Amino acid sequence: MLNIENLHAEIDGKEILKGLSLSVNAGEVHAIMGPNGAGKSTLGYVLGGRPGYEVTQGSVTFAGEDLLEMDADARAAAGLFLGFQYPVEIPGVSNVQFLRESLNSQRRARDEKPLSGAEFLKLARAQADGLGMDMDMLKRPVNVGFSGGEKKRNEMVQMGILDPKLAILDETDSGLDIDALRVVGDGINRIMRRPDKGVILITHYQRLLDYVQPDFVHVLADGRIVRSGGKELAHELEREGYGAVAA
Amino acid sequence: MATLPTNAQEAWRWTDLAALTSAAASPRGDAPAAESYWLGIPGPRIVFVDGVYALEHSTPGHVALSPLTLDTAHPLGAQASGAAGWSIDLSAAEIVDPVQIVHLATGAESHLPARLTLDEDAVAQVVETYVGTGWTNRLTQIDLERGARLMRSVRLLQSDGFVSIRDEAVVGEAASLITQFLGAGGMGSRIDAMLTLDGDSAFVDYGGALLTREQQRQECAVAVRHAALNGSSRQTWRAVAADRSQASLAARVEVARGAQKTDGEQSLRGLLLQRTATVNLKPELEIFADDVKCAHGATVGELDARALFYLRSRGVSEARAKALLTKAFVSDALDRIGDDTVREAFAADADTWLEASL
Repeated sequence: MLNIENLHAEIDGKEILKGLSLSVNAGEVHAIMGPNGAGKSTLGYVLGGRPGYEVTQGSVTFAGEDLLEMDADARAAAGLFLGFQYPVEIPGVSNVQFLRESLNSQRRARDEKPLSGAEFLKLARAQADGLGMDMDMLKRPVNVGFSGGEKKRNEMVQMGILDPKLAILDETDSGLDIDALRVVGDGINRIMRRPDKGVILITHYQRLLDYVQPDFVHVLADGRIVRSGGKELAHELEREGYGAVAA
Repeated sequence: MATLPTNAQEAWRWTDLAALTSAAASPRGDAPAAESYWLGIPGPRIVFVDGVYALEHSTPGHVALSPLTLDTAHPLGAQASGAAGWSIDLSAAEIVDPVQIVHLATGAESHLPARLTLDEDAVAQVVETYVGTGWTNRLTQIDLERGARLMRSVRLLQSDGFVSIRDEAVVGEAASLITQFLGAGGMGSRIDAMLTLDGDSAFVDYGGALLTREQQRQECAVAVRHAALNGSSRQTWRAVAADRSQASLAARVEVARGAQKTDGEQSLRGLLLQRTATVNLKPELEIFADDVKCAHGATVGELDARALFYLRSRGVSEARAKALLTKAFVSDALDRIGDDTVREAFAADADTWLEASL
């Protein structure tokens, strides 16, 4: 599904990713762990197509297409979802409007019929219910005045509505208390744990992995994957620290 | 043409006087149709073609048409005084249907005075639309007695030329003057006002959105004067400037000695769609009382790059994402229009502008 080969990327002339390779197949959940500054968020942004991140070497294919050639919105329409570590507040645009615009933009890009207001609201209500978010929050401006946990929950509601093929979730567990962590973890499993979908969980801590069991764990250090293993690697990292494992 | 102000005068430094004079010198042409500008609300409908009442297209209802000599010292406003104009004169507690006025301009210059006098507790609503080309000059004097309410929405949609508006209002005890503007045409403009809160607990909400592109220049120059106790005023202006255009917002709050417990709020914000565009902001506060609350904010910026990427990462195209964010910016001002039909029509005009400009 996703194939990253020898990816080098820089921002403001500073190289952050230094030859990263990773393959994600349908049906797999990969966790990418690593110390601060290793390049975890940069990987998410480069895959999401954020302006300012320059790929200097390597390739990324997604569902057989050259991902790096696509604009951010085309990547989304192709089925890629980036869950933000810090979801952005947008005053003056309601969540409902934002989501409907997003979904219908993607549908139009795929030559599918846009959803009517009623069809969309039904879908939005079901996804919001599944994540314990009430409809009043959906009517409020995007993320404005939301707590950290509410913002992350909102990311998951968006993921549920957009129904991507591949989700890259950047520190989705940060800012969550233990109950919210369970709700978000359940949401990831329900929406993405399918044979035709893939997930990359970018996380600093192992705690989200108690709820979303990864098939593979990779350690990212200094812009490269330095070790890969099964879920037991996450426990080893937690026990011994990045210094010992990444060395 | 009478003597015009010059850009050397501080109050007129940003006015596109060249656009005004060239509009005034333009030839008259055919009048565009007024039909598509009527909103689906009941009430009198009046058409002026080049400032002249068009009997066959109008149903004036409670609106009177007669020459009006209005006392003003304003250099542009004074040129409209003495001409045949329109007026609404409501007696106490009278509530009337909204009045729609379409000003069709075909070229050259036109001057039209108006007078709105609302006695105690009377309520009126006016929606004005400016279309066509040429220099369109208007003077409106407003007198609101105790508890009277006037809701006014004005959209400037002239494709070309220049629209100058001068409002002079006296707002009495517990009376409300609410006026929102939308400048979404291709003309130059100046919205100029002197509004006086003259009675205890008077209220003024006066603002709008000016959208400029290409070489266009639009501006507002508004003074709100608190002359009595307990007055509140709101001035919410938004400017969006594209290409090499210029939008200028000058808004002043004056609090007279003795106008205690004044609550004045002023918010001026500009959005540059390209770095070649200009937004000028000039917030002014002049306070001679000591127990007042006057909040003001003035900022100019570009679209938030993080919000743009957030939208695009969800599948929204760049142009659409910019339009959504710009619309949200403009809605701060347009959402203050109370009437749903009017607000939606103005929002649709702003959308049309955005779609053509992004």
